[in-house]
Amino acid sequence: MKFLGYVRPDGSTGIRNHTLIMANGRGAATLAAMVSKLVNGTQLFIQPNENGRDGDDRKTIARTMIGLAKNANVGAVLIVGNKPDAGYPEFSYDNFVGEIAKCGKPMDTVFMKDCGGFQEALGLAVRKARGLVQQASETPRTEVGLGQLNMAVKCGYSDATSGMSGNPVVGHLFDTLVDDGGRCMFAETTEVIGAEHIVAKRFPDHAERTKFLQAVERVEEEARSTGEDIRTINPIPANIQAGLTTLEEKSLGAIVKSGTRPIQGCVKYGEVPEGRGLYYMDSWMSSTALFLGFAAAGSVLTIFQVGGGWFPDDAMMPTTNTGLITPTLYMTGNPRTWEKAWREMDFNSGTVITEKEPIADAGERLVKEVQAFASGRLTMGETLDIRDNIEVYLRGPGL
Amino acid sequence: MKTLIVMSSKDNVGNAIEDIVGGDEVSYTVDGEQHMIAAQDEIPFGFKAAVHDIPAGGDIIKYKEVIGRAAVDIKAGECVHIHNVEGKRGRGDISGGQA
Repeated sequence: MKFLGYVRPDGSTGIRNHTLIMANGRGAATLAAMVSKLVNGTQLFIQPNENGRDGDDRKTIARTMIGLAKNANVGAVLIVGNKPDAGYPEFSYDNFVGEIAKCGKPMDTVFMKDCGGFQEALGLAVRKARGLVQQASETPRTEVGLGQLNMAVKCGYSDATSGMSGNPVVGHLFDTLVDDGGRCMFAETTEVIGAEHIVAKRFPDHAERTKFLQAVERVEEEARSTGEDIRTINPIPANIQAGLTTLEEKSLGAIVKSGTRPIQGCVKYGEVPEGRGLYYMDSWMSSTALFLGFAAAGSVLTIFQVGGGWFPDDAMMPTTNTGLITPTLYMTGNPRTWEKAWREMDFNSGTVITEKEPIADAGERLVKEVQAFASGRLTMGETLDIRDNIEVYLRGPGL
Repeated sequence: MKTLIVMSSKDNVGNAIEDIVGGDEVSYTVDGEQHMIAAQDEIPFGFKAAVHDIPAGGDIIKYKEVIGRAAVDIKAGECVHIHNVEGKRGRGDISGGQA
């Protein structure tokens, strides 16, 4: 199985060819936004403010940004800033720009301090960005094995079909990719509560299994510390209105999306795993934050597997852009959701219910669709210019 | 005749894959064997019905696993949802955190 991808200098393979523009330090984000607005083919990431954040959250912001820049869907990178060192050590020139430069892709920098201020920096940055976009455009697509893909999955707007006819189909895809040498990732720590004993058995490495179980315990403790019944928070109202009753039921249906292969490790939000195979990311479930974290961890195509029983007719799909540089493939295993929203979605496995299609057959259809999207076909979400809010999963207090 | 999907032989609930109303004859298949129950309530698409009687405090089983406990006695054919089921995990509202 092959697809046509962009092979980067570090050997990773992308399916898109964006030029990423970011500021080293929140204070220069407006400059990055102005450059991106003027130059075609760019994607802009505006980070949360690192000022007044503890070291853990600053590391998360830096890790996320560096991961986005290194993601194989990015063909070139422009970093702008006030000064080469932006303040905190995580955003020093060496730790930030130096780390991104290690991946070897075309990259440049513009700092206001070095070129006489903001307006001079703007002109220079536009010129450099146009050069980078053109340079990135010269990268051809070449044929590579399917196992070169890094993918991830989130399930959402879950209902009874999620565990029955949606998530198991993604599981089949992930088993196929992992067997072919690919890397796959799933997450959402709240939504393994009640199913963690099943997931934990699949970690061959004791230390990684412990990390996973500690993450679940930490999140359940956070849930209890609210003083509320988790059911008033998660399952979210859309889940309950579609028939899901408890968090445990939602979790047991959710974990099926990971397939059946061993889980090699438990990584932090936005952390790139060291090896191939299946990984778990300890992350908040929100679609405004998780798709970004997956992109930072290297995913070049992320699946949003929705139940969607709650959706209105002709629904618009939310958060299609929150992977920023990584497209979101929207699919459903709910035949009624597909009927309501097929114009906005990329794949339907509701046929498992309506036509008794075997999971493996629907999974094989999904593998073929992934090959097509990876080779360049746009997802429905990519055909619209959506600018939904994107968040980084931060945990500490503002100080 | 309407259909429920029961995921495993250990489960005491099944999911409606069409809209069921009270009085409907409903079939479900477990380990290749077909069973029949009468729906007691409306069970919309995607909602659950009990396939056995479940006493108050008894575990609700789906995917061979506990997904909560019955808050009241639930009869076979009744809709099983937040009105008659409590979650056990993440219970910040209960001292000890588990129901």
